[in-house]
Amino acid sequence: MSHSSERSISDLARDERGAVALETTLMIVILIPLLFAIIQFGWLTQRWIAQDGVTVQAARLAGELGGDRDELRTYVAQQLTLVGIEPSRAVVVVEPARVGWREPVRVSIQTSETIAIPFVISLPMTVASTAVARGELQR
Amino acid sequence: MIANESGSAAATTMILLPLLLVVLTGALELGALRAVAYRATAAADLATLVAINDHDEVEQTRSGALRPSADAEQVARAYFAMNLSSTAAALADSPGAIAASADIAVFRIAPATDPATGWTYARPAVRIVARVPVRTPAFRALLLPAVTTVTVRAASSAR
Repeated sequence: MSHSSERSISDLARDERGAVALETTLMIVILIPLLFAIIQFGWLTQRWIAQDGVTVQAARLAGELGGDRDELRTYVAQQLTLVGIEPSRAVVVVEPARVGWREPVRVSIQTSETIAIPFVISLPMTVASTAVARGELQR
Repeated sequence: MIANESGSAAATTMILLPLLLVVLTGALELGALRAVAYRATAAADLATLVAINDHDEVEQTRSGALRPSADAEQVARAYFAMNLSSTAAALADSPGAIAASADIAVFRIAPATDPATGWTYARPAVRIVARVPVRTPAFRALLLPAVTTVTVRAASSAR
């Protein structure tokens, strides 16, 4: 009887350890990657929205300046730095480089980021923003 | 007793995990919807700015007053479509069709009150109110509409 009771208690203890191990495994394998995914994608969305704002302002400035000028490049670099994006990693394209009065000018900014989710994936992602404004400079 | 609790934990996990996935899917789709809505609002904002920045030169020379040019509405519509193009993949309709159906108003004389939004303009202004249909496939999986329509509003005044 007493031997049976000891085995029973031992089994119960083992069961509890199993449950805890299962919960810990679930937490590590599912919840931690999930948490990192939420953090990483939230960060990427914030980055995209910030870059998008810079692109819209850059398009307006390109319209005022009449196209791709050094002032525009400097402005974009400053604004990207302000929102936490390294300017050297951004590709800025202004089309056309010289815009006429009332012609559309398109500014595109593209940056490469890496999303890293523990135990799951680490992949490069491209964040692209485009805005179209109108040439305001009468030459 | 402990074995029962273990079973209870497994049952709780079985119930909570799908629930967690449903909540997560909904939150992600809602976040994506907010991002597209933000981009559409920025597109409308830039379109109104472009339209109002082009003044009626004849009127400006004659009276010195800033008036939107005669084609301000068409310009706003065209630039709204162009700026929506970057999010076309997320839209349930073409940028051109969305821009074509947008309610665009040009207020040439100020002060003016916008009957659609209730906004008051101290200077001549261009205003866009557009209904933007956004694809929400994850909502469909949750038995919600596959397309969610977002209303965006933007206005710019002459300076």
